[in-house]
Amino acid sequence: MEKSVVVKNVTKKYKLYKKNSDKLLDLLLPKEYGEEYFALRNVSFEAEKGDVIGFVGINGSGKSTLSNIIAGIVPPTEGTVQVEGKSALIAVSSGLNNKLTGRDNIELKMLMLGFDKKQIQELEPEIIEFSELGKFIDQPVKSYSSGMKSRLGFSISVHIDPDVLIIDEALSVGDKNFAEKCLDKMNEFKAKGKTMFFISHSLGQMKKFCQKAVWLEYGELKAYGTIEEVMPQYEQFLKDYKAMSKKEQKKFREDKMKQRSQATV
Amino acid sequence: MSAAWTVLKEQINHFYLVRRLSAYEMKSANSGNYLGILWEIINPMIQIAIFWFVFGFGIFNREKVDGHDFLPWLMAGIVVWFFVNPATTQASKSIYSRLAMVSKMSFPMSVIPTYVIVAKLYQHFMLLGVIIVLLATTGYFPTVYIIQLPYYILAVLILLVSFGLITSTLATIIRDVQNMVTSLMRILFYLTPILWVLDAKDHPLIVQIMKLNPLYYIVEGYRASLLGESWYFIENWEYTMYFWLVVIVFFLIGSSLHVKFRDRFVDFK
Repeated sequence: MEKSVVVKNVTKKYKLYKKNSDKLLDLLLPKEYGEEYFALRNVSFEAEKGDVIGFVGINGSGKSTLSNIIAGIVPPTEGTVQVEGKSALIAVSSGLNNKLTGRDNIELKMLMLGFDKKQIQELEPEIIEFSELGKFIDQPVKSYSSGMKSRLGFSISVHIDPDVLIIDEALSVGDKNFAEKCLDKMNEFKAKGKTMFFISHSLGQMKKFCQKAVWLEYGELKAYGTIEEVMPQYEQFLKDYKAMSKKEQKKFREDKMKQRSQATV
Repeated sequence: MSAAWTVLKEQINHFYLVRRLSAYEMKSANSGNYLGILWEIINPMIQIAIFWFVFGFGIFNREKVDGHDFLPWLMAGIVVWFFVNPATTQASKSIYSRLAMVSKMSFPMSVIPTYVIVAKLYQHFMLLGVIIVLLATTGYFPTVYIIQLPYYILAVLILLVSFGLITSTLATIIRDVQNMVTSLMRILFYLTPILWVLDAKDHPLIVQIMKLNPLYYIVEGYRASLLGESWYFIENWEYTMYFWLVVIVFFLIGSSLHVKFRDRFVDFK
């Protein structure tokens, strides 16, 4: 099989500063200021063409950071990510300009993504049709409901024909009808052999749709494999975690937090 | 040097992008109020009227400045300030306020300050048209000297883009730079010969120092073209050389800063 996405030893480090002055000193002086925080540490995996991969993990485990890095929005601190072709991220907050109309936003967004005039003119009617916005397309985006915004964002992202699609919790908004339409579109992509990453807290949706899963725990890759292998482990972990007393849970979290600030494990 | 080359190539290759994005920039700035873009004319007119009343009518007591009546002299110089001031302040916050819009690292980020400045340029053209008509009503009909005006427009545009590269990068990393730029513009308004001018015969040294400000060159150039005085950039060719030297230095500093930090802009969100 052809490799579509290769993530190699990816680490994303953030700096936590206690004071604003530390931030400035860190920037200007060679000495290090502030506490390090590893949002991701040494994550490696490979995706083949046509894979549909789910990211699982509890809140703050680095799922969104990883998806941003694969989408090319955020640069990794260390390591490399190779993506074959174009990638598109679909997230709930998809960077629309509130003051402009939906139609203007379509062109603006596509310009930002590097499309030329002709391509934009070709795709615009399809995007408007798919978004089901009707006459709202010529109204400013600030008058949209959150469902309408995410519908517009989703329509734009799927119509730019990406080779790698990353969906970050975007299907949780919008009514059932539209969610089904999106799933149809995604199945269409699946049939075309495009690679997809799927982030959701709904395990049911994930089992139905994905073949593989990446389990992140506190910024590290805990498991990567087929959905049948990873899911039972993850579910077991969730059960164990739930079974812990409040105190044990807190200790577990704090230990992990401490680990994340250390340079080496 | 290679950074300057990268930025220069980005500016040229994405000309269409700059044009479209600046059109949207203008549209989104003026949506929501009824008079829309007309405010870009109304506001300067109110300011010119009040400056004329306070300085021309009041303080200078209707005296002539450099051999011109105060009002036309003021209008010919201040017209470019209404472009320089908003363009500089907007350009310095252009990158950090638009990071959410830029959804790809591969986006040529150096065009962001450029398109914000170009959006202001359209308004400048409108105001310039109005000012040329108003000057005609005060007796200053366009002369042959007006054909040098496009040169000064281009010069100020390139100056602002080069300076914008510096401030937009620094303001993304350290937000306080934005406040510094606002203050700087307020100072420059009084240190550029817009409302008043020092006679070079009385204070040669101070005038020399004030001429270090490249906007001095631009304002005097606008005046020379609109009031039909002289071929300013040829007659003061040493000053022209100095101006372009400053622009090149700004551009080199700006592009090297920009290229050095742009991969990490998103971390400063």
